[in-house]
Amino acid sequence: MTNLSPFDIQARPNRLLAQALSAVLFVVCIGLYMQTSIARHRENPEDRVVPSGHQLLAGVRSAVLEPAEEDDYIAPDNASTWERLRHSMIWKDTASSGKRFFISLGLLIPFVVLAVHIGLFPWFGAGFLRFFLFFDKIVALSLLPILFIAFGIDEWSKIALIVIGVAPTMILDVTQMVKAVPQEQIVKAFTLDANNFDVAYRVVFRQVMPQVINSLRLNLKPMMLFLFAGEMIAASDGLAYRIAIMRRHMGMDVILPYVLWVALLLFLIDFSLRTINRRLHPWFQA
Amino acid sequence: MVSSMSTPEITAGLPLFGEERAVRAVAEVEAQAAKSISIEDVSVSYALGRAARRSVLENISLEIEEGEFVVLLGETGCGKSTLLRMLLGQERPTEGTISVAGSKVERVDARSGYVPQRYSLFPDRTVLDNLMMGPLTSNYHILGRLRPSFWGARRAVREEAFRQLAHMGLQASDAGKYPHQLSGGMQQRVAIAQALMMKNRVLLMDEAFSALDPSTRGSLQRLLRSVWSETRPTVVFVTHNTAEALFLGTRVIVLARESKDDACGSRVALDMKLAEGGMTLRSHGQEFLDLVEHIEAVSNGGRLTDLSGRRTALDRCGEDSGLAGRVGVFHEVGETR
Ligand SMILES: Nc1ncnc2c1ncn2[C@@H]1O[C@H](COP(=O)(O)OP(=O)(O)OP(=O)(O)O)[C@@H](O)[C@H]1O
Ligand SMILES: [Mg+2]
Repeated sequence: MTNLSPFDIQARPNRLLAQALSAVLFVVCIGLYMQTSIARHRENPEDRVVPSGHQLLAGVRSAVLEPAEEDDYIAPDNASTWERLRHSMIWKDTASSGKRFFISLGLLIPFVVLAVHIGLFPWFGAGFLRFFLFFDKIVALSLLPILFIAFGIDEWSKIALIVIGVAPTMILDVTQMVKAVPQEQIVKAFTLDANNFDVAYRVVFRQVMPQVINSLRLNLKPMMLFLFAGEMIAASDGLAYRIAIMRRHMGMDVILPYVLWVALLLFLIDFSLRTINRRLHPWFQA
Repeated sequence: MVSSMSTPEITAGLPLFGEERAVRAVAEVEAQAAKSISIEDVSVSYALGRAARRSVLENISLEIEEGEFVVLLGETGCGKSTLLRMLLGQERPTEGTISVAGSKVERVDARSGYVPQRYSLFPDRTVLDNLMMGPLTSNYHILGRLRPSFWGARRAVREEAFRQLAHMGLQASDAGKYPHQLSGGMQQRVAIAQALMMKNRVLLMDEAFSALDPSTRGSLQRLLRSVWSETRPTVVFVTHNTAEALFLGTRVIVLARESKDDACGSRVALDMKLAEGGMTLRSHGQEFLDLVEHIEAVSNGGRLTDLSGRRTALDRCGEDSGLAGRVGVFHEVGETR
């Protein structure tokens, strides 16, 4: 007989039961939503605050197949689904948010390399560490007005916000990882006639790489947060821009799918980083 | 200090312990022997807070010849690892100078091989890559892989790595494994092979076998001794284990402090040469026990005369429970078949 006490640390729930239990909260959420939606629609069939399944489907349809309001594109009658998709609102918003996101990701790479140097080379540490310790305490969002003034309200201010927002944390994080590489490894490498750059890149960097990727995974959400903050305040496209715009005309039928879409995107990025990490570094965490 | 007494080399049938049989003074080193490591009047101390200093080593002077197998013994915290770090160049002595292989040690470089107790292999590389790393980095630094000669050199190094692997008693099939897939003993075998790949004349080892179980430890000790007797590099080996020291070393150096006072650093309390090393309880019997007793008395800060009381206990071997425990320890050394 399986022990069903929820407070038994040594309990061994069987697979099926455990999976069913995992599904419960999802089901409860969906159920509550449906109930609210049905109740509200009984009072007002046109209710837009808690859209019904039908309304949601229509919202998804229009987001995926129809161009954004501000676009003049009119699909020819014989346009294929693929062509409609290419000109759709969600495609356009995902592409522009994605561009900002991945450019920022690329711009973080030099900072990671800098962090390896800060952790390993005493002179770099002396020069940069205190600065970043201080810089890390600056609330990045408070810099947003300054960024708008400095970079204008176009792309670069939003990208700069993301980079300024997560780079100091990443740098301090990676610096700690580098310092945690056992001294034995570094001494050993020097006795094997490695030079300073061999030690930095072929011993230390290689060893912290999986941890760097994990740290990046943890920072995906802050990055998204900064991206959304920038887009909501000043942008003419992007996922967060759309969510902000839709709020004005109560477009819950589009907002909800967008929220889930963003969550899915983050999940996928995280998942691929994890997979890459496992493939590339079979020696890690084994 | 024993170094002031003149004592013969280990030979059979020597009389009393008090006469320091099996021990030879360092001062009588043959003058022509090449100096591999020379430690001149080295003191090390660390700042403790504002004014106080903790003295770790005090006026250590040692000359180590080419081909000697030196074992550093002493109680925990006496500064064995500290001295080894100085030999490596990882830290510099507060006073005094250290030369290895003919020139002053200023920083860590490839003049000596190093086998630490932990983290002795690069976890992100396979056994083969670990072995090849030394010779390859040494000739082809960071962007050297772009040079056309790299791949030819790599093939040669690879062959040498497999030879070294077999020499260490490992299978060719182990070459593709990552360090975490190896047992502790195998890891240390690879670590020794990795150091030997560099063909260094000096090998520095800090408690390299201390984390291993007795039988693995025994086989690694035999392996290290046979490797050493083939090419005769200079070895400095740090350990806690007196029996291990007597089996491995041709020279045993004990560091000890006269008092627990922070101002008082360790000095060389005993420095004795064994003819060829390789001593075990089985091969040397009572002589071995006497030496162990002697060394441990010295490293505990005791005097030689303290031994007189214990000797009777030694003679009544089985009856002394403390000693019986120790005899068990002796079996670790080279005796497990
Ligand atoms: N950076 C430091 N600052 C202050 N004290 C230090 C420092 N490094 C070492 N010591 C002191 O030096 C002493 C010797 O340390 P060391 O590691 O050399 O001892 P050991 O003989 O190798 O001991 P064990 O056998 O336990 O490894 C220790 O008592 C330690 O307190
Ligand atoms: Mg030590």
